[in-house]
Amino acid sequence: MNANLPELIVIIPLIGAFLITLAATVHGKLCFPLAAAILTGALVSAVGLLGRVLAEGVVEYHLAGWRPPWGIGYRVDPLNGLVLVVVAAVALINLLGTRPLVEKDFGDRLGPFYTLYVLFVTGLMGIVVTGDAFNLYVLLEIAAITGYALIGMGNPQRAPLAGLNYIFMGTIGASLYLLGVGYIYLVTGTLNMMDIAARLPALAGSRLVMTAFIFCIAGLCLKMGFFPLHAWLPNAYSHAPAAVSSLIAPLMTKVMVYVMIRIMLTVFDPGFTFGTMGVSRGMVWLAVAAILGGSILALGTRHLKRMLTYIIVAEVGYMVGGFWLGNRAGISGAALHIVNDAAMTLCVFLAAGTFFYKIGGESIDDLQGLFRKMPVSMAAFAVGGLSIIGVPPTCGFFSKWYLISGGLAAGQYAFVGALLFSSLVNLALFFRIFEIAFFEPFQEHHGAHGAPAGTARQEAPLQMLVPLVLTALGLVALGLYSGDMVSRLIEHAIPAGIV
Amino acid sequence: MKTIALLTVLAIGAFLLYGTPEFPAWGDPQAPAALHVSPYYIEHTIEDTAVPNVVTSVLADYRGYDTMFETSVIFAAGLACLMLLRRYQPKTQETRLYRHVPTGITLRIAQGGKIPEASDEFERIDSQWVPYDLIVKLTARLIVPFAQLFALYVIAHGHHSPGGGFQGGVIYGAALILYAVSFDLRSTFRRLSERTAILLSAAGVLIYASTGFLCMLMGGNFLDYGYLAPLLGGDPVMARSHGIFIVEIGVGMAVMAVMVSLYYNLASAGRHDEGL
Repeated sequence: MNANLPELIVIIPLIGAFLITLAATVHGKLCFPLAAAILTGALVSAVGLLGRVLAEGVVEYHLAGWRPPWGIGYRVDPLNGLVLVVVAAVALINLLGTRPLVEKDFGDRLGPFYTLYVLFVTGLMGIVVTGDAFNLYVLLEIAAITGYALIGMGNPQRAPLAGLNYIFMGTIGASLYLLGVGYIYLVTGTLNMMDIAARLPALAGSRLVMTAFIFCIAGLCLKMGFFPLHAWLPNAYSHAPAAVSSLIAPLMTKVMVYVMIRIMLTVFDPGFTFGTMGVSRGMVWLAVAAILGGSILALGTRHLKRMLTYIIVAEVGYMVGGFWLGNRAGISGAALHIVNDAAMTLCVFLAAGTFFYKIGGESIDDLQGLFRKMPVSMAAFAVGGLSIIGVPPTCGFFSKWYLISGGLAAGQYAFVGALLFSSLVNLALFFRIFEIAFFEPFQEHHGAHGAPAGTARQEAPLQMLVPLVLTALGLVALGLYSGDMVSRLIEHAIPAGIV
Repeated sequence: MKTIALLTVLAIGAFLLYGTPEFPAWGDPQAPAALHVSPYYIEHTIEDTAVPNVVTSVLADYRGYDTMFETSVIFAAGLACLMLLRRYQPKTQETRLYRHVPTGITLRIAQGGKIPEASDEFERIDSQWVPYDLIVKLTARLIVPFAQLFALYVIAHGHHSPGGGFQGGVIYGAALILYAVSFDLRSTFRRLSERTAILLSAAGVLIYASTGFLCMLMGGNFLDYGYLAPLLGGDPVMARSHGIFIVEIGVGMAVMAVMVSLYYNLASAGRHDEGL
C-alpha cells in the first residue's frame, strides 16, 4: 500500500464519507467513531507520505495508470506534504474537540453533518495533493459546496444569508480561476501543472498568458478573503456553527494561500511572476491594507468570533504580502505561516467554541471571570492569543520573524510597519479579553442554578479540553521546531532561482 | 456602491476583450489545444480502452478521476440541500385534508384532531387537490416507463453514442419527478422513499470510488481498470471498457437519486408533506 500513499490520503476520507451516510441509516451514534477513524487514517497516511517525501524527494502518482499529461497526476513535494499533514491534523483535532457541540446542535442530523465534514476535508486534501490544474478546480468545488452547507447551518437568523453571500463570492472566485485555467489550456493544450510550466516559457509576451495569470490571482484572492475581496469572510465565519468555524477558519484560507504559492511558483515561472508581470509591489501594498484594515476592524467589534475573523483577514495579508516580497525569507515566512496560522486559528476558535458551549454567549463581555471558572480552556486561549500576537516561544513569533526579515531585505518598510502595527493591535485585543476574563467577576446569571457565584469552577468536558490543550501545547512545539521545518521542508520547495 | 460594481464589471469585461485578439481561430486544427494532448486521445482510444466514443473514454478513463469528484459534487449538493432545507417537525402541526373515497367527502382535520386510521376508505390529499385528472395522469403513465427505459439505454450506450451516467441519471430522475408532479409527493415516496434516495446517492458514488479502490487492491493504481481483467474476464483493454460501464452505472444511480432528493426537499420546502 506504500506506493499508493498519495492516493490514500484522498480516497480514505472520500470512501469514508459515503460509509458515514450508509452507517447513519443504521444508527446515528456510529457516525462520530467512523469519522474519527477515517480522519485518523488520513492523518497517518499524510504523515507516512511526508516521511516518504523526506526520504525519497518528490513523490508522483499517476491516477488510473495514465502518465501525465494524458492522465491526472499527483505530485507531492515537501511543501504540500507539510500542508497535507496540517490539514489532516487540524481536521482530526477539531473533530475530536467539538463532539459535544455537534451533538447539541445537530443531534438529529449527525449523518449528513459528518458526511459533509469529511467530504470537506477530502476536498482540501485533494486541492493540496494534486498536480493537475483542472483537478484542483474540481476539488475546490467539493470543498466549497460542503463548506457552504456547513456554514449555512449556523445561527438560523444570520447564517443562511451569510452562506448565500459566500456562495456568490466563492462561485465568482472559482469561476475566475477556471477561466484562467481555460486560457492556459487554450495556449498550451494541457492541464498538468508541470507540463504547463514546461510549455509556458515559449509563449513569453502572450496576452492570453497574462490574462490567465491575472484571472488566477483574482479568483484565488477572492477565495482566500484577501483585502479588498474579504467582505464575505467575517459574516460567513462568525455566524457558522462553532464546530464548523473552527474547521473552516483555520483551513480554507490557508489552503488557498498554498494554492497561490503553487500556481505562482510551479505553474508560472518565478521570473514571470515576480518580474514580467510587475504586480508584486501592488500586491504587497494591498497586503499592507489588508493587515491594517483587518486589525482596525477587529478593534471595533466586541463579538469574539467576529474579532477573530478580522484577525484572519489580517493574517491572510501577512501571508500574501510575505509571498509577494519575492525573496526567500518572505516566501519561507508565508509558507511557515500557513502551518502556524492554521494551528493558532484552530486553538483560538476551539477555545471560543468551548466558551460558547459552557456560557452560551459570544460577546467578549460574556467572558467575565472565566480565568477562575474555566482556567484550563482560558489558559489555552491565552496561549493562542500570545501566539497570534507573536510572543516567543510560540510559533507565531517565528513566522513573523521570517516575514519581517523578508520585508527588510526587500526594502518594503511599509509591510514591516504594518506587521508591527498589527502585533500591537493584537496585543491590545487579547489583553482586553484577558483583563475581562481575569479581573471582572463572573456574572451569576450565566452559571447553573444553585452554583455559588463567582468562584465555581465549571470546566468544559474532558473530551473538549484534551484536544484544546494539545493544540495549545502544539503551538509551542511548532515554535520550537520552526527552524527544522524551514530548513528541512520549506527550503526545498522554493525554486532555486529565488534568493 | 452600484457605481463601484459597474466599474468592476466594465474592468473585467475590458480585460476579457484584451485577451481575445490572440484566440486561435474557430475550429482551427493548428490551435495549441488541438495539437498537444487531444491527438493522443483520438488516436489511441480504441487500442487503449476499446471505447469508440472518445468523449466517454476521456471522461471516464483518462480523466475519470475528475468525473468521480464531479459525481461527489452532485452528491454533496444533494446532501447540502437536505441539511439546509429538511425540517423534522411533528406531523400534527397543521391542518390536514382527508378524502372519503366512496362518497367523495373531504374532511378537514385541524391541529391535534384525530386522524382517520389507515384504511382504504380514506386517503390523505393535498390542500390543492384536484379530482382525478384523466389527461395529465394518463399521459404521465404512458411517458414515465418509456422515459425510464430510455434513461437506462442512455447510461448503457454511452460507450458508442452521446450519453452516459450523467445524462441517463438526469432522464431517470426527470421521469420520477414527472410522476411526482402529475400524481402527488406521497405516492412517489411509496415508490422511492427519502431514505432510499439518500442511500442510492451514496451507494452510486461509492460504486465509483470502490471500483477505483478495487483496482488498487488488485495491484494497480487507483481507477486503473485494466487490473480488473482477472475479475471481469477478458484482456486489460476490455476490462477498461467494462470498468467504464460499471462507474457509469454508479454515476447514473447517484445523479438520479440526487435529482429526486432535491425535488423532494425543494417542492415541499423540506417538510416532505405536500408537493407541488
